[in-house]
Amino acid sequence: MTGLRSVRGPVALGVIALVGVLAVVLVLVLVLVLARSGHAGAGGASPGSSFSLERALAFDDFELFSAGRSLDGLPLTAVLRRDDTATYVSFVYGDCEPEGDAGCAPPAEVQVWPACRRSLALYDGEAAGSPVPEPVRVRGVPGAFFDRGTRLELETGRSLVVVFAGSRAQAVRVAAALEAVDGSVAAGAPLPPPVPGRGKGGAMGC
Amino acid sequence: MGRLAAAGAVVAGALVAAGSAPAHFDPDDRYTHRACPASVANRVDPINVVFTGWGTWGRAVSQIESHLGWTATSGTTQSFADHGSCYSLHAQRASGQGSRFHVRLRGQHKDPALRWTATGDAHHEDLIAFPMPCGHAVDSNGSGGSGFDQGRDELERRFAGGGHATSWAWWGNTQSFKQCDGDYAASDGWTLFVELHQVNHS
Repeated sequence: MTGLRSVRGPVALGVIALVGVLAVVLVLVLVLVLARSGHAGAGGASPGSSFSLERALAFDDFELFSAGRSLDGLPLTAVLRRDDTATYVSFVYGDCEPEGDAGCAPPAEVQVWPACRRSLALYDGEAAGSPVPEPVRVRGVPGAFFDRGTRLELETGRSLVVVFAGSRAQAVRVAAALEAVDGSVAAGAPLPPPVPGRGKGGAMGC
Repeated sequence: MGRLAAAGAVVAGALVAAGSAPAHFDPDDRYTHRACPASVANRVDPINVVFTGWGTWGRAVSQIESHLGWTATSGTTQSFADHGSCYSLHAQRASGQGSRFHVRLRGQHKDPALRWTATGDAHHEDLIAFPMPCGHAVDSNGSGGSGFDQGRDELERRFAGGGHATSWAWWGNTQSFKQCDGDYAASDGWTLFVELHQVNHS
């Protein structure tokens, strides 16, 4: 028995060590998975976010507008920031489930671009394949529908607000809910008129 | 903004004959779809490249293989819309099996100005193995833009370097798409036009 114990002892210790290592790895994986699958907290930053509501509040490169912390029952799930070949801050509402190699479209999104990078003047309706704007005025500012009403672009202040929605009706509801992130414009109130100087390719300069 | 001028130079005068028979390039839907029928909810990738001239999907495949060496054919099927109908892709090519460049292709209607056309969703994607293996995820952003921008720009570099005429058009299809790693990826809104020639490379 002594001999057997002497053999089993190191084996048992090895098994215990292995189980311990596996447990630590499992906990680490669990923490990472939970961190990835969580929802927006008070700061509005989800795992996929590259920005946050707090940082959006402090942002002053151009005016930011969002539809608040929820829209049509959809929570704000991510705040994104790009400043590379595209420049915008984006507010994503609701969630979706990617399937393997295929990404998915969130139910609604509000992208805010600086007017010097994106304006309605960029669209060249005479070029083959170019989107044809469907002009509209919303909350006192000029805009246009695209993609059968599921995309609405509004020129306000030094910004261009782009709404992506599931339908024209939802795009209109998002537009009605837009409010300045800094609190200067309430939902439903007239939006600030676009500053002059917008032009093809963004003549106003960034 | 030179992209805009270049686009205008190449496709100037190409008025779309609205209301006529569907004998023209139809860019009404600027995204690929998970399946048919196409809907806003099942959008997957932005369309960011249009092959023109002799731009049949077969020539696009041949010349992508020749100029870029993208010969891998693996990837999930996606669908494209054309004149209100929805069809499965015709082909896809990638630079490998792991993290890679990838494009899905669909031949579209011939157009009086653009002639034969095919559209694609070029992108660079990473193979995600940790913390949960989930397949390929398009890069969210980087110094060269998102994975969609990187894939499109790689096509532009290699085709332009090979003597093909290229130009740009602003489509504004910048909707964000959640990837399997939890990040979001979006096009920067610029679409590349590449003119193909009749004779394929050997």
